Amino acid sequence: MNYAMALDYQNCINCKACETACKEENGVQLGSHKQRIWVGIVEGTIFGKPYMNFYPSQCNHCIDAPCVSVCPTYASHFISGGIVKVDPSKCILCKGCMEACPYDARFIDDTMVAVDKCTFCDHRIDEYGTTACQATCPTKVRLFGDLDDEDSDLVKLLKTKRFFFQKEHASTLPKLFYIVPDDEPYARQSIGHNTVIHTWDEFKPKYDAARDRRSKEWKR
Amino acid sequence: MKVEISRRRFLQSSVALSVLGGTALGATNILANNSTDIKSDTALMKKIPTVCEMCVNKCAAIAQVKNGIVTKLDPNPYFPKSKNMLCARGAAGIHALYDPDRLKYPLIRIGKRGDGKYRRASWEEANEYIKEKMVKILDEEKDNRSCIGYCAGEGMAEHTYKSFMADKFGSSNFINHASICLQTTVSGYALTIGGYGQADLDNAKYVIMAGANRAEAIVTPDTMDLFKRTRGRGTKLVVVDPRFTNTVAHADKYLAIKPGTDLAFVLALTYQVLITQTYNRTYVKNNFNGFEEYKNHILQNEYTPEWAEKITGISAKEICHIASEFMANAPQSIYYQGRRSTFAKNDFQLRRAQAIFTALGGGIDVKGGIVFGRKLPLGSHDINIPMYANAKERIEKGAAAIIGGSGSWIAWRNMVTEGKTPYAIRGLFVYKQNPMLSVPNTAKTKKMLEKLDLIVVIDTMPSDTAMYADVILPECTYLEREDPIKSFAGVEPAIILRQKTIDPMYESKPVIEIMNGLAKKLSKPLWEITKKYDEDVQEELSELESGDTEEDYYKDNGFDLADAFEESQEHINEHMFREKYDEDAWKTLREKGVYYPFMDVSFEKLDNNTYKYYEEYEKNFTVVKLEDESQQEEMDTCVNPKDIAEIRRKFSTPSRKIECSLASMAKKGIASMPTWEDKDYVKVPEGKFKFISGRHAQFTQNATQNNIMLLELMNENFVWINDKDAKFRDIEFGDVIEVTSKVGKVTIKAYPTAKIVPSTIFYIHGFGAKSTGMTFAHRNGASDNEIIEDRIEPVFGSAIMHDTIVSIRKV
Repeated sequence: MNYAMALDYQNCINCKACETACKEENGVQLGSHKQRIWVGIVEGTIFGKPYMNFYPSQCNHCIDAPCVSVCPTYASHFISGGIVKVDPSKCILCKGCMEACPYDARFIDDTMVAVDKCTFCDHRIDEYGTTACQATCPTKVRLFGDLDDEDSDLVKLLKTKRFFFQKEHASTLPKLFYIVPDDEPYARQSIGHNTVIHTWDEFKPKYDAARDRRSKEWKR
Repeated sequence: MKVEISRRRFLQSSVALSVLGGTALGATNILANNSTDIKSDTALMKKIPTVCEMCVNKCAAIAQVKNGIVTKLDPNPYFPKSKNMLCARGAAGIHALYDPDRLKYPLIRIGKRGDGKYRRASWEEANEYIKEKMVKILDEEKDNRSCIGYCAGEGMAEHTYKSFMADKFGSSNFINHASICLQTTVSGYALTIGGYGQADLDNAKYVIMAGANRAEAIVTPDTMDLFKRTRGRGTKLVVVDPRFTNTVAHADKYLAIKPGTDLAFVLALTYQVLITQTYNRTYVKNNFNGFEEYKNHILQNEYTPEWAEKITGISAKEICHIASEFMANAPQSIYYQGRRSTFAKNDFQLRRAQAIFTALGGGIDVKGGIVFGRKLPLGSHDINIPMYANAKERIEKGAAAIIGGSGSWIAWRNMVTEGKTPYAIRGLFVYKQNPMLSVPNTAKTKKMLEKLDLIVVIDTMPSDTAMYADVILPECTYLEREDPIKSFAGVEPAIILRQKTIDPMYESKPVIEIMNGLAKKLSKPLWEITKKYDEDVQEELSELESGDTEEDYYKDNGFDLADAFEESQEHINEHMFREKYDEDAWKTLREKGVYYPFMDVSFEKLDNNTYKYYEEYEKNFTVVKLEDESQQEEMDTCVNPKDIAEIRRKFSTPSRKIECSLASMAKKGIASMPTWEDKDYVKVPEGKFKFISGRHAQFTQNATQNNIMLLELMNENFVWINDKDAKFRDIEFGDVIEVTSKVGKVTIKAYPTAKIVPSTIFYIHGFGAKSTGMTFAHRNGASDNEIIEDRIEPVFGSAIMHDTIVSIRKV
């Protein structure tokens, strides 16, 4: 198992249902800066005309997760399926993982006195097969699934679409797949010109190799 | 709900009327078994299907309950209208349930009105207090029941409250949310095409969305359908709005328009398709009434795109282009109806023009156009309604051309405030509404509330309005009660049931129990007053046949106010449902929270994000009766939507056709056809601004203002001002601005942006509470209705929301 998520980000209307459902599902600490999940907004004007792009995001559960490598107490760790979690009882709040994360996906939960982050709702997977954020989404931006399962909805989708990653240059092998919109003008407006576009065929061997290299750590 | 009026004059007093269910012994037995089942289920079950009430959409939800505590609200996939989703508000419903500021016990005022000083009372005490005041008032008003007004916000239990106040108590002065919401829009469409309908955004190819904002003002299933199909995925979306909203971010084309000029835009589109003859001529020939008259009207008035450009700010070239694209995609082209409020004085004409323009392409009652859908039937629930000879008709009848059953909030309020009512209005019952924040011109609402002898508020939260109440009765939240069963019309119709997920907390009660308690208290004392003043009752009592007692008469004629509220909601629901469906269907509804025929066969999970509800051929796209029934076969076999559209129908309008001209309106001094009047357009004087308001995906009006989960997504509102206007006045982000209109003044922080047209300012409705009972909502931002002027549009008396001129000053 190698859990990942595809985001058809062009569907996002920035309603923040995902942020709220995440907080309710996982009992995340209240406070506007205590978010496991968020919608990034890029807005501005081109020749005086406004534009606005939404990039829903959360922890990428990177295969080469720097937050896990950097953690001195093994609080940051992988579980099965390659999900990155934090064991609050081991966390000493050194904040090394927060520095290491390219996505700013971690924050301090003052009630647990530990670093907190997205868990891909690992407690829900068996029962629902989805995360809380995917289930609640009005426009169905997200699709959670297993990259190792050729029959999963996720792999079926990735086979038919092109995709890109946020901050791929950080070389952490992230697992949030942003689906390239079919609409050319919108793709141009919402994807930076340095961004690498991938296809499933080209991408799969690379990730399979990385998974084989790291997955012995995933059992803990 | 069926209403059974006992016209006493024509009835023999010996006829006993059947009151409420309880028709057969069998039904009672089923109830007895069933209610124990529910109880034990609730104790064991972790997941209880229910219906969200965080806004008006009524999405199906599943509550996870652990040890009597609601821990999570999940979407319920079975409901075709909400399609397996819960928005931010829906997910945050738990914080409405566990809001620490909730009204917990009945309260009686001990301070001055508005200062928020109350003492805890028992239900008995609170009802006794209301009774004493009501008896005194009704004695003084000689049993004119209409001297007590009552208002309500939208909700599944609204009808229960209304049936007490109107049917049993007998007041005609009902004012609800319609006249500050979609009254004019709905009526404009109903009078033109026979119904408001539903935009089939799942199949439309071309959508003009003007003044509607489906990304932020979520409407199901429109929001979910539309945004999966924009940007080359089936629908071309044109958004016309003074603001660059989240909806605009998804548009294929955005047209920034000056507020209040939408009618000119639609008229020019109409002119263009008429002059180029690109409308569907067969459709018009078959289904229009008064087309030639309308055509001449549009052409003679020269509503040209060039004319509209000067008024709207949208270029003539663009208007021509859109008119041509719209008709090229027709009949799967929709000028989206829109919801919510009345924008300007010409709103009725605007909605009529929109409906006619969509119809010119044939996009009514056809897949991909405006569809009416079907509704699954439910049984009836009878109420024995008493007649009061002295109850007078509503006070604001003459305020507009047509004042409907839900009244005109502004006209009603102003008459009371200014003391211009035909008879005294002495009291007000308020249910789930907060007129202090929701009706334009807060100062006048405050003045009205200060004048009344009795104010009773039934709510879950200590709102600004509750602070003016003499008695506050705590309602339980939607998660703590069963509400009346509801059938939803649509392409994929369904019946839903809001079930109780936990018992009511504190001393709160559902409305049906509140009404029962109050009715029991009031019934006999008010009956004494009726006997004292009602000559009809006196006459009939004097003519009672031997053997009939006064008590029999009182009961038979519905004067026992409590008789309508004695059965549990659970029993009433079962009765109404089982009248039409079998036991298995009832079980399905209880288990899944949703029911529609053949659900067990056609419901299917396609993937983790998609569900199928009805088979394609079972969907109700085309439902209006055909003029020639023999064409039904043609309709069934047609594959081209254009051919289906063109078949002659019998619409639910007076002429059975699309009504271009309403002669009945002309008699009331209203233009019979959509007409642009320069004098009705409010121009913005140099240096001033037009104020517009709107909605937000994280808040529902002011009902969610104290929700901590939502407040962390946005904890105050900001005033939008065009960045160039701001720069000229040296206003920067976060500067505190004073906004002044003729009726009020607020201070609010600035948000300079290119996302709004010049000379216009905007802030979101629902903020700026002053009630000290609302710990988290207290004084964050500003309330729009403090500055919106209290004017109504002349047809239905709805509040005009976007015609207020304001000046701004940095403070």
